[in-house]
Amino acid sequence: MSVATGGPQTPAGPVLLDDEHVVVRGLWRAVDVFRVLALVYAAYSVWERRAEVAHLSVAAVVLGVLAGWTAVQTVRPMRTVRAYTVELAIGCGAILATRLVDTPEVITGGAKTLPSIWPSAAVVGFAILRGWRGGVAAACLVAASSFVEVVQPTANTVSNSIFGLLLGGCIGYCVDLARASHSALAEAMRLDAARAERDRLARTVHDGVLQTLAFIHRRATDLGGESATLGAMAGEQERILRTLVSQTDLAEVGRALSGDADLRTLLRHVETDDVQLVSPADPVLLPRRVADELVAAVEAALDNVRKHAGEGARAWVLLDDDGRDVAVTIRDSGRGLSEARLQEAVGQGRLGVSSSIRGRLTDLGGGAVITSGPAGGTTVELRVPRQPSHPSHRPDRPARRGRNDRRGAP
Amino acid sequence: MSDDAATPTPDPTPDPTPDPAPRSAPDGATRIRVVVADDHPMWRDAVARDLADAGFEVVATADDGRSAVARTRATVPDVLVLDLNLPGLSGSQVCAALAGAGVPTRVLILSASGDHQDVLEAVKAGALGYLVKSAGREEFLAAVRATAAGDPVFTAGLAGLVLGEFRRARSAASPEREVPELTDRETEILKYVATGMGYKEIAATLFLSHRTVQNHVQNIFGKLQMHNRVELVRFAMERGLDLEERPEPGA
Repeated sequence: MSVATGGPQTPAGPVLLDDEHVVVRGLWRAVDVFRVLALVYAAYSVWERRAEVAHLSVAAVVLGVLAGWTAVQTVRPMRTVRAYTVELAIGCGAILATRLVDTPEVITGGAKTLPSIWPSAAVVGFAILRGWRGGVAAACLVAASSFVEVVQPTANTVSNSIFGLLLGGCIGYCVDLARASHSALAEAMRLDAARAERDRLARTVHDGVLQTLAFIHRRATDLGGESATLGAMAGEQERILRTLVSQTDLAEVGRALSGDADLRTLLRHVETDDVQLVSPADPVLLPRRVADELVAAVEAALDNVRKHAGEGARAWVLLDDDGRDVAVTIRDSGRGLSEARLQEAVGQGRLGVSSSIRGRLTDLGGGAVITSGPAGGTTVELRVPRQPSHPSHRPDRPARRGRNDRRGAP
Repeated sequence: MSDDAATPTPDPTPDPTPDPAPRSAPDGATRIRVVVADDHPMWRDAVARDLADAGFEVVATADDGRSAVARTRATVPDVLVLDLNLPGLSGSQVCAALAGAGVPTRVLILSASGDHQDVLEAVKAGALGYLVKSAGREEFLAAVRATAAGDPVFTAGLAGLVLGEFRRARSAASPEREVPELTDRETEILKYVATGMGYKEIAATLFLSHRTVQNHVQNIFGKLQMHNRVELVRFAMERGLDLEERPEPGA
């Protein structure tokens, strides 16, 4: 039943992705409408105070220019930085042109500028194009023009300028947010599609290749002789493929960003025919640096198993996260060693156990315990406290020293 | 069965008839009755033949989840050898259906992928053991025998999953103490199993009898399945509360 879900849901993805910035497109349409209304308002304002306007004909020419640009932007909207630079220039020019139209007394008396609120369209345009920085920059230009125009700032000039800055900043900020959330959504959808594809592949591999390899492995082992060698090869491939296919975690990407690493993933490479990784179903998350040190300690312990446990020894690596500590237990089925011999070896510094394993763990605020069971085999338990309970532990330095230690060791 | 295992069958083509065909003498009056459910004909036949060769009685085979449930209910075998990824019903759903119908058959999960979560779900739903398909023939036959005897087939991998499940449950459900917890001894044994130790080795290490170790392991399984029941109840309750809070989900 789960097979069917993979296919049909994919076409829905791109449709939504192409619909770029729904919020932004709405804002553009709003700007287009606003520009027309602002023009009407500017014309009405001039008409209302026509008695005090010194040069009505100049005012008509300026309003004509505004009307021309408004018409152009309404019929064929251009949403480019260049077009809005032109619009901003026209707006600022119109503000400055108020000086040619009105007498200084009228201007100082607090009369409206010629274009009134029309330049706000350019401010909003820049906010949409370039985010809050663009909006604030455009608003600054408009404000500067107003201040130049009035010479002696009136209360209106100040409040209008502040209003313009707020408008540009706020709308720009909203646009920034919309863009960020849009790209986050796109990323999530991309991850989702990737996961669906991987699941589909995993199912295919599981149903076909894995089953066949496992079958060959099993039958060939029964047959013995050269077939057994072939069977072992099939078994090896089966194991590798199973590991690959079971990596269902694309959330790994998110964790990589947060700086935490899943110990299960980091330890996957230690698994071989003789070494089995035993882990819980849920991720075992540790800060990247701690996890890397722990992995290095596990590798060192497994090196010891290879060197000392003898022929044909198997090993198990168990991950256990009990909420307070993360413990990694490495046990082998080898010869084992007596406590006395272990102590002796540590005393002579012969075993890598003391330096590279214990040292690393101590640096991380944890510890390592090495035991040998009565039934043979050696058990190394590495224990690291979970970071939240030990937030103030020594930072990077000691860990790096540990690493150098290991390189220096034979 | 040892006489059969000593003579390997040189013909790898699957037997077309996996019906009960007693080829070797059973080692007792009552033979272990088995149903094999796998959607791969190749595997199904090979497993059935191995079982028949070793003296088990394969009473039925199934190639999807629904027929696995139906045939198990009809024949009530000692053991159901169940592939985890069957079409129709998943492994855990088959286990749940059988448990719900009160079928006493014990379930051994056989899986090619070793997908952690699925295996855990199936064991929580009542399966008694789990084996990867790449396990050897002898290991497999021993597992079927153990399952028939009611002994959990506990590989190191499964022990790790179960341990993780108890850890998770403890950290998730701290306020209400309704989830059964493991005793220290049980945790210790679980960790030993998870690092590849056999019951005999564990018994020697802890100075316990083999039987005591087995009892502990059975208790662990019991608690895991109980804990599944607790989760189911809580799930239902949460659903109920949810529906009460939002009677009209359409917004």
